[in-house]
Amino acid sequence: MPKTSKTNKKAEPEAALTAPPETTSAEVAASEAGKGEATVSEAARELVSPEMVHLIVFKLGTEEYAIRIDQVKEVTVTPEITRMPRTPDFVKGVANIRGDIIAIIDLARRFNIRPDAAAVGVSSSYTLVVETDTYSIGVDVKEVPQSLNLPLTKIDKTPSFLQDVSVSENFIEGIAKTDNRLIIVLDMHKILTHEEVNQLPNL
Amino acid sequence: MKSREQEYKEIFIAEALEYFDALNRHISTLEKEPESEETLAEIFRLLHNLKANSKAIGYLQISDVSHKLETAFSLIRNKELSFSDEVVKVLFDGVDLLGELIHNVDNPNYGEPDPLLLRNLDIIVENLSDSTIELAKVQRYNTSKNLSLSELIYIQIRKLDHMMNLVGELMIDRDRVLSISRELNSDELKSVSSHLYRITEELQYSVMDARLVNIGSLFNKFPRIVRDVAAAEGKQVNLVLEGHDIQIDRNILQIMADSLLHLVRNAITHGLEKPEERQAAGKDTTGQLRLAAQSDRENVLLRLIDDGRGIDLNVVRRTAVEKQLVSADAARSMGEHEVLSLLFEPGFSTAKEVTEFSGRGVGLDVVKNAIDSIGGRISVSSVKGSGTTFSMQLPTSIAVKGALLFEVDSIYFAIPLIHTEQVVSLDKDELHEVGGVLIADLKGETVTVVYLNELLNAPEQEMRLGDKTRLNGQVQNIIIVSYNNRKLGLIVDKLYRQQDIVVKALSKPLDQIDIYGGVTLLGTGKVCLVLDVPAITRYFTQRRQI
Amino acid sequence: MKRILIVDDSFYMRTMLKNMLSDAGYEIVGEAPNGQTALELAKETKPDLITLDVILPDSTGLEVLKGIRQEQPDQKVIIVSAVGQEVIVNEAMEYGAKSYIVKPFSEENVLEVVSKVLAEEAPES
Repeated sequence: MPKTSKTNKKAEPEAALTAPPETTSAEVAASEAGKGEATVSEAARELVSPEMVHLIVFKLGTEEYAIRIDQVKEVTVTPEITRMPRTPDFVKGVANIRGDIIAIIDLARRFNIRPDAAAVGVSSSYTLVVETDTYSIGVDVKEVPQSLNLPLTKIDKTPSFLQDVSVSENFIEGIAKTDNRLIIVLDMHKILTHEEVNQLPNL
Repeated sequence: MKSREQEYKEIFIAEALEYFDALNRHISTLEKEPESEETLAEIFRLLHNLKANSKAIGYLQISDVSHKLETAFSLIRNKELSFSDEVVKVLFDGVDLLGELIHNVDNPNYGEPDPLLLRNLDIIVENLSDSTIELAKVQRYNTSKNLSLSELIYIQIRKLDHMMNLVGELMIDRDRVLSISRELNSDELKSVSSHLYRITEELQYSVMDARLVNIGSLFNKFPRIVRDVAAAEGKQVNLVLEGHDIQIDRNILQIMADSLLHLVRNAITHGLEKPEERQAAGKDTTGQLRLAAQSDRENVLLRLIDDGRGIDLNVVRRTAVEKQLVSADAARSMGEHEVLSLLFEPGFSTAKEVTEFSGRGVGLDVVKNAIDSIGGRISVSSVKGSGTTFSMQLPTSIAVKGALLFEVDSIYFAIPLIHTEQVVSLDKDELHEVGGVLIADLKGETVTVVYLNELLNAPEQEMRLGDKTRLNGQVQNIIIVSYNNRKLGLIVDKLYRQQDIVVKALSKPLDQIDIYGGVTLLGTGKVCLVLDVPAITRYFTQRRQI
Repeated sequence: MKRILIVDDSFYMRTMLKNMLSDAGYEIVGEAPNGQTALELAKETKPDLITLDVILPDSTGLEVLKGIRQEQPDQKVIIVSAVGQEVIVNEAMEYGAKSYIVKPFSEENVLEVVSKVLAEEAPES
């Protein structure tokens, strides 16, 4: 994905935001409008350093989070979830997604994120199927996820606050800042650390 | 040893037929290119192998004819025999004869090969190229012969594993189609789906059948092992093997191999006594060790029986207390079955001395885990002074299991039938609150009963396993499961049917949660959680002790 | 447990050898049906012993023996041959083969030769 969009970027640096047709939504259009205000120097920097990342952005609580698109296998309407007793509370259960039975994870609970007061009672409607070498999980989100392309340089990989965060929070790959938005980019490979997988009740 | 001989024979024939086909191919090439060194070398190699293999297995006619042909071709190779039309004809006849002999190794009515043909072969081999003796006219075989390929092929187990997985997936979809056809109430769809049902069922059994191997292929490894261990331990052991021909899934047998090895070594080092000790006890100085397999409905029953010193229940009790597996009080009140089941607890080992063969720190718990992993059961019985028997009930096939379906708190669950003893309905009044648990009297046997909803869903701090008020309704459906010689009644909300299910392993990260043996998809597309009876039993025991 | 690599182009022969040796408590680390595979497996598995057939589809046992000893000069190799190949066997012994087995072989014979060769001290190197 990033490779094909790279050539696009060279041709039209100002269109930093693109979205695949299936995820085009009002939100994407809105942020596209905001993108128009990008400064010339930003556009110029993109030309010099055109390496782009394609992210899937979604809301947890009141903040925006993102996962690199190459870690997302698909986005689907949340299927029926079967609760699994005696699993950690961030495991919502299992669901049948095209014949594969995978765990559905509540990231907000996993990260102890305070729910957005405005969204209380709204049931989850979309599931991001995330696949890494070691596991495949579904991540539940309330609003339709957006697609976002932005230059790699916009992701601050070493924000100083990360040093203050406990080790168990090192699933944050970096902070993306674009158009007054602050997006927390997650490293899905680290969302369930080795220790944590082992912390699942081994009854 | 019958089955290994059978195995060798099958391999020999399959390979010999391959060689036969290759020989025909090369000899035809040679006719066109008599100078081809490469072809000659290949023919030579094939005949050479055929000769050695047939000699090894004892088919002397084949080795004799191969030898003559090999000699003829080495003469051709050394230019001592020209590849003339006459010679070619004899060689073709000879190769045909080989084929005929290979095809008829099992035919008692075959008789002797054509003496004229053998004589012709001798003539070209012994009289060199200037032979003046006329070669007898032998009718060419090929004109009347049918073309036939080997009846046997070799296949890698991973290909069969793949097929088995595909069949599993197919069965899930089949159940789905069947369920849709009922909903839609279309006669045509119903008839197609019931046909689909039968076909997939047959396909399932065919694939399962293709994976079966004789248990003898594992048994045959034991005489040597027993001899070595007995020699090292200074013991006299007579090993009796029974049930070589019982068939079982190859992967199950592979998983069982280490466990069985462990049990056999244990039986010799710890079970059977030294000759002096046996004599003093009035026994034959040679210990008997019997490894027997038999079919038991859908399962295979494996038993390892020794006539050794048996297990001293008091030593087991004492050790368990020393190792803090149970309290002294609990140990005293335990019955024989319960005491013996302690042997399978992790960390339990009564072995006092470490020996080369048995003392590797591997306990019976490892054996039990292996058997649990394939959905089998193991139990032990013992009579002090006269011996110990380990009984293992193993499924013949892994992927498809009979299971009992039920519902607890609106979630579908299944328990493999191998762990279920019976299903009973009891009135709430027949359950009694004793010592923090519920118990029921089943035809004189006292069985601990647990409300599965409470065990699975109550917050752990508030769990009250001995509280009848938590139950719903008056009549309780109870599945009696059994594990490690212990029975446990599980109260479920709704009881459904018995059904063959395809258990899918849970993928990471859920594979770490061992109360689930996996999941299965029901015909309705709903997910059904498969409970792992050993782990549920352990979890219950753990909760009860708190 | 001693580790053995079996080189033979006949599946039947490999199966027999494998069964005999594994029943006797040896670990079979690989089976090679041709010279190419034999060289690769020898390098990869570094077995305690190799049983080597003299006639192979892509090469001869002698060439394989030379190849193996170039890489692993101390590698123990036993030649497996049929009657009438004494010349090859003699040559192989010159190239450093430790012993030989003649087809058709008996289990006792194979196990005796194998255990004898394995018991020999490794040469100083």
